[in-house]
Amino acid sequence: MVKIIQNNDMSEALTKKYAVIDFSAVWCGPCKMTAPILEKLSDEMSEVAFYNLDVDVNDELAMQFGIQSIPTMVVLKEGKPVAQTVGFRPEPALRSWIEQAVA
Amino acid sequence: MRYDIAIIGTGPAGLEAAITAKVRNKSIVLFGSRQLSNKMQVVDHPIKNYLGLPEATGKEMAQAFNRQLDVLGIEITEKKVTTVYAMGDFFTLQLSDNSMVEAEAVILASGVVAGKPYPGEEQFLGRGVSYCATCDAPLYKGKVVACIGGSKEEEAEADFLGEVCQKVYYFPLYKDKPTFTHDNVEVIHERPVEMMGGMKIQTLKTNQNTYDVDCVFILRAAQFPGQLVPGLEIEGNAVKVDLQMKTNLPGLFAAGDIAGQPYQYIKAAGQGNVAALSAVNYLDQKKRG
Repeated sequence: MVKIIQNNDMSEALTKKYAVIDFSAVWCGPCKMTAPILEKLSDEMSEVAFYNLDVDVNDELAMQFGIQSIPTMVVLKEGKPVAQTVGFRPEPALRSWIEQAVA
Repeated sequence: MRYDIAIIGTGPAGLEAAITAKVRNKSIVLFGSRQLSNKMQVVDHPIKNYLGLPEATGKEMAQAFNRQLDVLGIEITEKKVTTVYAMGDFFTLQLSDNSMVEAEAVILASGVVAGKPYPGEEQFLGRGVSYCATCDAPLYKGKVVACIGGSKEEEAEADFLGEVCQKVYYFPLYKDKPTFTHDNVEVIHERPVEMMGGMKIQTLKTNQNTYDVDCVFILRAAQFPGQLVPGLEIEGNAVKVDLQMKTNLPGLFAAGDIAGQPYQYIKAAGQGNVAALSAVNYLDQKKRG
Protein backbone atom coordinates (compact mmCIF):
# COMPACT_ATOMS: atom_id res chain seq x y z
CA MET A 1 0.00 0.00 0.00
CA VAL A 2 1.18 3.53 -0.75
CA LYS A 3 0.40 5.95 2.07
CA ILE A 4 -0.45 9.61 1.41
CA ILE A 5 1.67 12.29 3.06
CA GLN A 6 -0.38 15.31 4.18
CA ASN A 7 0.17 18.63 5.95
CA ASN A 8 3.91 18.57 5.18
CA ASP A 9 4.23 15.79 7.77
CA MET A 10 6.57 12.97 6.83
CA SER A 11 7.68 12.06 10.35
CA GLU A 12 6.44 8.49 9.98
CA ALA A 13 8.49 7.93 6.81
CA LEU A 14 11.61 9.20 8.57
CA THR A 15 11.37 6.43 11.18
CA LYS A 16 11.30 3.60 8.61
CA LYS A 17 14.34 1.53 7.77
CA TYR A 18 13.60 2.11 4.08
CA ALA A 19 11.03 4.45 2.56
CA VAL A 20 10.28 5.49 -1.02
CA ILE A 21 8.75 8.95 -1.39
CA ASP A 22 6.94 9.71 -4.66
CA PHE A 23 6.76 13.48 -5.23
CA SER A 24 3.89 14.07 -7.67
CA ALA A 25 0.90 16.24 -8.58
CA VAL A 26 -2.62 15.56 -9.78
CA TRP A 27 -2.11 17.35 -13.10
CA CYS A 28 1.06 15.47 -14.04
CA GLY A 29 0.62 12.69 -16.64
CA PRO A 30 3.82 10.74 -15.93
CA CYS A 31 2.96 10.89 -12.20
CA LYS A 32 -0.41 9.26 -12.85
CA MET A 33 1.37 6.50 -14.73
CA THR A 34 3.96 6.01 -12.00
CA ALA A 35 1.39 5.63 -9.20
CA PRO A 36 0.02 2.16 -10.10
CA ILE A 37 3.57 0.82 -10.55
CA LEU A 38 4.55 2.00 -7.06
CA GLU A 39 1.31 0.52 -5.69
CA LYS A 40 2.28 -2.85 -7.19
CA LEU A 41 5.87 -2.63 -5.95
CA SER A 42 4.66 -1.71 -2.47
CA ASP A 43 2.73 -5.01 -2.34
CA GLU A 44 5.82 -6.92 -3.45
CA MET A 45 8.45 -5.21 -1.28
CA SER A 46 7.28 -5.62 2.29
CA GLU A 47 10.57 -4.32 3.74
CA VAL A 48 10.10 -0.91 2.10
CA ALA A 49 7.45 1.68 3.07
CA PHE A 50 5.93 3.66 0.18
CA TYR A 51 4.57 7.19 0.36
CA ASN A 52 2.98 9.57 -2.14
CA LEU A 53 3.41 13.29 -1.70
CA ASP A 54 1.49 15.92 -3.69
CA VAL A 55 3.94 18.82 -4.15
CA ASP A 56 1.10 21.36 -4.42
CA VAL A 57 -0.28 20.58 -0.97
CA ASN A 58 3.09 19.73 0.65
CA ASP A 59 5.06 22.65 -0.75
CA GLU A 60 7.41 22.93 2.26
CA LEU A 61 8.61 19.33 1.87
CA ALA A 62 8.96 19.81 -1.89
CA MET A 63 11.15 22.87 -1.24
CA GLN A 64 13.13 21.09 1.45
CA PHE A 65 13.96 18.25 -0.97
CA GLY A 66 14.64 20.74 -3.81
CA ILE A 67 12.10 19.13 -6.12
CA GLN A 68 12.25 20.81 -9.56
CA SER A 69 10.47 18.26 -11.67
CA ILE A 70 7.89 15.58 -11.07
CA PRO A 71 7.60 12.72 -10.66
CA THR A 72 10.68 12.59 -8.45
CA MET A 73 11.24 9.50 -6.30
CA VAL A 74 13.50 9.56 -3.28
CA VAL A 75 14.66 6.55 -1.26
CA LEU A 76 15.21 7.24 2.43
CA LYS A 77 17.33 4.98 4.62
CA GLU A 78 16.53 5.63 8.26
CA GLY A 79 15.36 9.11 7.28
CA LYS A 80 18.37 9.97 5.11
CA PRO A 81 18.08 10.29 1.31
CA VAL A 82 20.24 7.64 -0.37
CA ALA A 83 18.90 7.72 -3.95
CA GLN A 84 16.82 9.97 -6.18
CA THR A 85 15.39 9.63 -9.70
CA VAL A 86 13.31 11.92 -11.91
CA GLY A 87 10.70 11.00 -14.50
CA PHE A 88 8.63 7.98 -15.41
CA ARG A 89 10.41 4.64 -15.40
CA PRO A 90 9.05 1.29 -16.60
CA GLU A 91 8.25 -1.16 -13.81
CA PRO A 92 11.34 -3.41 -14.11
CA ALA A 93 13.63 -0.36 -14.14
CA LEU A 94 11.91 1.17 -11.11
CA ARG A 95 12.00 -2.14 -9.22
CA SER A 96 15.73 -2.66 -9.78
CA TRP A 97 16.44 0.99 -8.91
CA ILE A 98 14.71 0.55 -5.52
CA GLU A 99 16.32 -2.87 -4.95
CA GLN A 100 19.77 -1.38 -5.52
CA ALA A 101 19.06 1.56 -3.23
CA VAL A 102 18.03 -0.68 -0.35
CA ALA A 103 20.66 -3.39 -0.93
CA MET B 1 -11.03 -1.59 -23.38
CA ARG B 2 -7.50 -2.89 -23.71
CA TYR B 3 -6.33 -3.72 -27.25
CA ASP B 4 -4.09 -6.70 -27.97
CA ILE B 5 -1.69 -4.64 -30.07
CA ALA B 6 -1.31 -0.90 -30.62
CA ILE B 7 0.62 0.06 -33.74
CA ILE B 8 2.09 3.53 -34.15
CA GLY B 9 2.80 4.66 -37.69
CA THR B 10 1.19 4.19 -41.10
CA GLY B 11 4.19 3.73 -43.37
CA PRO B 12 4.89 0.29 -44.84
CA ALA B 13 6.15 -1.09 -41.48
CA GLY B 14 3.10 -0.08 -39.47
CA LEU B 15 0.65 -1.11 -42.18
CA GLU B 16 2.20 -4.54 -42.65
CA ALA B 17 2.26 -5.02 -38.87
CA ALA B 18 -1.45 -4.10 -38.72
CA ILE B 19 -2.30 -6.42 -41.62
CA THR B 20 -0.44 -9.35 -40.09
CA ALA B 21 -1.89 -8.78 -36.61
CA LYS B 22 -5.39 -8.51 -38.10
CA VAL B 23 -4.94 -11.72 -40.10
CA ARG B 24 -3.91 -13.38 -36.82
CA ASN B 25 -7.20 -12.22 -35.26
CA LYS B 26 -5.77 -9.77 -32.77
CA SER B 27 -7.65 -6.66 -31.71
CA ILE B 28 -5.60 -3.74 -32.97
CA VAL B 29 -5.53 0.03 -32.95
CA LEU B 30 -3.47 1.71 -35.66
CA PHE B 31 -2.35 5.30 -35.14
CA GLY B 32 -1.31 7.44 -38.07
CA SER B 33 -2.67 9.32 -41.03
CA ARG B 34 -5.17 8.24 -43.69
CA GLN B 35 -2.68 9.82 -46.12
CA LEU B 36 -0.35 7.05 -44.81
CA SER B 37 3.19 8.37 -44.50
CA ASN B 38 4.18 11.90 -45.53
CA LYS B 39 7.16 10.46 -47.30
CA MET B 40 4.97 8.36 -49.60
CA GLN B 41 2.91 11.39 -50.58
CA VAL B 42 5.94 13.26 -51.88
CA VAL B 43 7.75 10.45 -53.72
CA ASP B 44 6.61 10.99 -57.31
CA HIS B 45 9.28 9.00 -59.06
CA PRO B 46 8.75 5.26 -59.52
CA ILE B 47 10.01 3.04 -56.71
CA LYS B 48 11.87 0.29 -58.52
CA ASN B 49 12.53 -2.34 -55.88
CA TYR B 50 9.21 -2.97 -54.11
CA LEU B 51 8.11 -6.54 -54.84
CA GLY B 52 4.74 -6.80 -56.57
CA LEU B 53 4.32 -3.10 -57.38
CA PRO B 54 6.65 -2.40 -60.30
CA GLU B 55 7.13 1.27 -61.19
CA ALA B 56 4.64 2.50 -58.55
CA THR B 57 5.08 6.06 -57.29
CA GLY B 58 4.68 6.76 -53.58
CA LYS B 59 1.07 7.86 -54.10
CA GLU B 60 0.20 4.80 -56.18
CA MET B 61 1.78 2.60 -53.56
CA ALA B 62 -0.29 4.33 -50.88
CA GLN B 63 -3.45 3.69 -52.91
CA ALA B 64 -2.56 -0.01 -53.20
CA PHE B 65 -1.93 -0.17 -49.44
CA ASN B 66 -5.23 1.56 -48.71
CA ARG B 67 -7.11 -0.97 -50.86
CA GLN B 68 -5.61 -3.77 -48.77
CA LEU B 69 -6.62 -2.03 -45.53
CA ASP B 70 -10.19 -1.73 -46.88
CA VAL B 71 -10.30 -5.42 -47.83
CA LEU B 72 -9.30 -6.38 -44.27
CA GLY B 73 -11.44 -3.71 -42.60
CA ILE B 74 -8.49 -2.02 -40.89
CA GLU B 75 -9.17 1.51 -39.70
CA ILE B 76 -6.64 4.25 -39.03
CA THR B 77 -7.01 6.33 -35.87
CA GLU B 78 -5.85 9.83 -36.78
CA LYS B 79 -4.49 10.83 -33.38
CA LYS B 80 -0.95 11.54 -32.34
CA VAL B 81 0.61 9.39 -29.63
CA THR B 82 2.69 11.63 -27.35
CA THR B 83 3.99 9.08 -24.83
CA VAL B 84 4.01 5.31 -24.42
CA TYR B 85 4.25 4.19 -20.79
CA ALA B 86 5.50 0.67 -20.06
CA MET B 87 3.32 -0.27 -17.09
CA GLY B 88 4.70 -3.77 -16.50
CA ASP B 89 2.40 -6.26 -18.23
CA PHE B 90 0.64 -3.67 -20.40
CA PHE B 91 1.16 -0.24 -22.00
CA THR B 92 -0.67 3.05 -21.64
CA LEU B 93 -0.54 5.37 -24.65
CA GLN B 94 -1.13 9.03 -24.02
CA LEU B 95 -2.68 10.78 -27.01
CA SER B 96 -2.36 14.44 -27.97
CA ASP B 97 -6.07 15.03 -27.19
CA ASN B 98 -5.14 14.01 -23.62
CA SER B 99 -7.04 10.71 -23.79
CA MET B 100 -5.44 7.34 -22.97
CA VAL B 101 -5.47 3.98 -24.70
CA GLU B 102 -4.24 0.68 -23.27
CA ALA B 103 -2.65 -2.23 -25.11
CA GLU B 104 -0.99 -5.52 -24.18
CA ALA B 105 1.75 -5.02 -26.79
CA VAL B 106 2.98 -2.07 -28.85
CA ILE B 107 4.71 -1.86 -32.23
CA LEU B 108 6.62 1.36 -32.94
CA ALA B 109 6.74 2.14 -36.65
CA SER B 110 6.67 5.92 -36.63
CA GLY B 111 9.68 6.47 -38.84
CA VAL B 112 12.97 8.20 -38.34
CA VAL B 113 13.07 11.75 -37.00
CA ALA B 114 15.53 13.99 -38.80
CA GLY B 115 17.80 16.20 -36.76
CA LYS B 116 18.36 16.10 -33.05
CA PRO B 117 16.96 17.77 -29.93
CA TYR B 118 17.71 21.48 -29.42
CA PRO B 119 20.43 22.31 -26.89
CA GLY B 120 18.62 22.53 -23.55
CA GLU B 121 15.56 20.65 -24.78
CA GLU B 122 16.20 17.44 -22.87
CA GLN B 123 17.57 19.29 -19.86
CA PHE B 124 14.35 21.29 -19.42
CA LEU B 125 11.88 18.57 -20.39
CA GLY B 126 9.12 18.75 -17.78
CA ARG B 127 10.56 22.03 -16.53
CA GLY B 128 9.33 24.30 -19.26
CA VAL B 129 9.70 22.09 -22.31
CA SER B 130 6.58 20.20 -23.39
CA TYR B 131 5.60 18.08 -26.38
CA CYS B 132 1.85 18.21 -25.83
CA ALA B 133 -0.07 21.48 -25.86
CA THR B 134 -3.40 19.86 -25.03
CA CYS B 135 -1.90 18.06 -22.00
CA ASP B 136 0.17 20.85 -20.47
CA ALA B 137 -1.47 24.12 -21.59
CA PRO B 138 -3.44 24.42 -18.30
CA LEU B 139 -0.13 24.79 -16.43
CA TYR B 140 0.64 27.95 -18.41
CA LYS B 141 -2.69 29.72 -18.11
CA GLY B 142 -2.12 33.45 -18.49
CA LYS B 143 1.60 32.96 -19.15
CA VAL B 144 3.87 33.68 -22.09
CA VAL B 145 4.91 30.64 -24.10
CA ALA B 146 6.72 29.80 -27.31
CA CYS B 147 5.61 27.12 -29.71
CA ILE B 148 7.79 25.50 -32.37
CA GLY B 149 5.63 23.97 -35.10
CA GLY B 150 7.12 21.27 -37.31
CA SER B 151 4.24 21.19 -39.79
CA LYS B 152 0.94 22.86 -40.61
CA GLU B 153 -0.93 20.10 -38.72
CA GLU B 154 0.44 21.44 -35.43
CA GLU B 155 -1.33 24.80 -35.81
CA ALA B 156 -4.54 23.61 -34.15
CA GLU B 157 -2.63 22.80 -30.96
CA ALA B 158 -0.84 26.15 -31.09
CA ASP B 159 -4.17 27.91 -31.57
CA PHE B 160 -5.42 26.17 -28.42
CA LEU B 161 -2.40 27.62 -26.56
CA GLY B 162 -3.61 31.03 -27.71
CA GLU B 163 -6.92 30.37 -26.00
CA VAL B 164 -5.29 29.55 -22.66
CA CYS B 165 -2.05 31.52 -22.53
CA GLN B 166 -1.55 35.28 -22.45
CA LYS B 167 0.84 35.30 -25.41
CA VAL B 168 2.14 32.68 -27.84
CA TYR B 169 5.23 33.17 -30.02
CA TYR B 170 4.85 30.72 -32.89
CA PHE B 171 7.93 29.58 -34.81
CA PRO B 172 6.97 27.65 -37.97
CA LEU B 173 9.62 25.29 -39.33
CA TYR B 174 7.81 25.09 -42.68
CA LYS B 175 7.01 27.41 -45.58
CA ASP B 176 3.17 27.60 -45.65
CA LYS B 177 1.68 30.68 -44.04
CA PRO B 178 0.30 29.80 -40.59
CA THR B 179 -3.27 30.88 -39.74
CA PHE B 180 -4.70 31.25 -36.24
CA THR B 181 -8.06 32.30 -34.84
CA HIS B 182 -6.51 33.86 -31.71
CA ASP B 183 -4.67 37.12 -32.37
CA ASN B 184 -2.35 36.72 -29.36
CA VAL B 185 -0.52 34.07 -31.39
CA GLU B 186 2.35 35.91 -33.06
CA VAL B 187 4.11 34.21 -35.95
CA ILE B 188 7.87 34.74 -35.91
CA HIS B 189 10.06 33.67 -38.81
CA GLU B 190 13.27 33.00 -36.92
CA ARG B 191 15.09 29.76 -36.31
CA PRO B 192 15.08 28.53 -32.70
CA VAL B 193 18.57 27.48 -31.62
CA GLU B 194 18.64 26.95 -27.86
CA MET B 195 16.62 26.77 -24.65
CA MET B 196 18.14 28.40 -21.61
CA GLY B 197 17.28 28.95 -17.96
CA GLY B 198 18.07 27.96 -14.40
CA MET B 199 15.81 25.64 -12.44
CA LYS B 200 13.19 26.12 -15.14
CA ILE B 201 13.32 27.38 -18.68
CA GLN B 202 13.53 31.16 -18.98
CA THR B 203 14.58 32.02 -22.49
CA LEU B 204 14.23 30.76 -26.03
CA LYS B 205 17.12 31.86 -28.17
CA THR B 206 16.74 32.13 -31.94
CA ASN B 207 19.24 32.97 -34.66
CA GLN B 208 18.26 36.65 -34.23
CA ASN B 209 16.68 37.31 -30.82
CA THR B 210 15.91 35.97 -27.37
CA TYR B 211 12.39 35.55 -25.98
CA ASP B 212 11.50 35.34 -22.27
CA VAL B 213 9.01 32.52 -21.91
CA ASP B 214 7.58 30.20 -19.24
CA CYS B 215 7.40 27.22 -21.56
CA VAL B 216 8.45 26.09 -25.02
CA PHE B 217 6.06 23.68 -26.70
CA ILE B 218 7.89 21.66 -29.34
CA LEU B 219 5.37 20.11 -31.72
CA ARG B 220 7.07 17.78 -34.18
CA ALA B 221 5.32 15.49 -36.64
CA ALA B 222 7.17 12.61 -34.93
CA GLN B 223 8.88 12.29 -31.57
CA PHE B 224 12.39 11.14 -30.91
CA PRO B 225 11.98 7.50 -29.85
CA GLY B 226 13.52 7.94 -26.39
CA GLN B 227 11.01 10.70 -25.64
CA LEU B 228 8.10 8.72 -27.04
CA VAL B 229 8.83 5.75 -24.76
CA PRO B 230 10.56 6.53 -21.43
CA GLY B 231 13.05 3.76 -20.62
CA LEU B 232 13.52 2.65 -24.24
CA GLU B 233 17.05 1.69 -25.23
CA ILE B 234 18.38 3.70 -28.20
CA GLU B 235 21.43 3.19 -30.40
CA GLY B 236 22.42 6.28 -32.38
CA ASN B 237 19.08 7.63 -33.61
CA ALA B 238 17.44 4.21 -33.88
CA VAL B 239 15.62 1.98 -31.41
CA LYS B 240 17.76 -0.98 -30.43
CA VAL B 241 16.10 -4.18 -31.66
CA ASP B 242 17.01 -7.83 -32.18
CA LEU B 243 16.13 -9.95 -35.23
CA GLN B 244 12.64 -10.57 -33.79
CA MET B 245 12.23 -6.76 -33.62
CA LYS B 246 12.12 -6.91 -29.82
CA THR B 247 13.25 -3.85 -27.88
CA ASN B 248 14.61 -3.82 -24.32
CA LEU B 249 11.02 -3.47 -23.01
CA PRO B 250 9.05 -6.76 -23.02
CA GLY B 251 5.97 -6.45 -25.24
CA LEU B 252 7.35 -3.47 -27.16
CA PHE B 253 8.57 -3.99 -30.73
CA ALA B 254 9.92 -1.64 -33.39
CA ALA B 255 9.98 -1.88 -37.19
CA GLY B 256 10.91 0.17 -40.22
CA ASP B 257 13.04 3.32 -40.29
CA ILE B 258 12.75 3.80 -36.51
CA ALA B 259 14.69 0.51 -36.13
CA GLY B 260 17.58 1.85 -38.20
CA GLN B 261 19.03 1.76 -41.69
CA PRO B 262 18.60 0.86 -44.51
CA TYR B 263 15.58 3.14 -45.06
CA GLN B 264 13.76 0.98 -47.62
CA TYR B 265 10.02 0.34 -48.02
CA ILE B 266 10.36 -3.39 -48.61
CA LYS B 267 12.60 -3.82 -45.56
CA ALA B 268 10.17 -1.79 -43.47
CA ALA B 269 7.25 -3.97 -44.55
CA GLY B 270 9.23 -7.13 -43.78
CA GLN B 271 10.13 -5.88 -40.32
CA GLY B 272 6.52 -4.92 -39.70
CA ASN B 273 5.55 -8.49 -40.46
CA VAL B 274 8.19 -9.88 -38.07
CA ALA B 275 7.23 -7.40 -35.34
CA ALA B 276 3.56 -8.38 -35.56
CA LEU B 277 4.34 -12.11 -35.40
CA SER B 278 6.66 -11.51 -32.44
CA ALA B 279 3.89 -9.54 -30.73
CA VAL B 280 1.41 -12.37 -31.40
CA ASN B 281 3.91 -14.83 -29.94
CA TYR B 282 4.41 -12.59 -26.91
CA LEU B 283 0.64 -12.44 -26.31
CA ASP B 284 0.30 -16.23 -26.63
CA GLN B 285 3.11 -16.84 -24.13
CA LYS B 286 1.61 -14.34 -21.73
CA LYS B 287 -1.78 -16.02 -21.92
CA ARG B 288 -0.19 -19.40 -21.14
CA GLY B 289 1.48 -17.72 -18.18
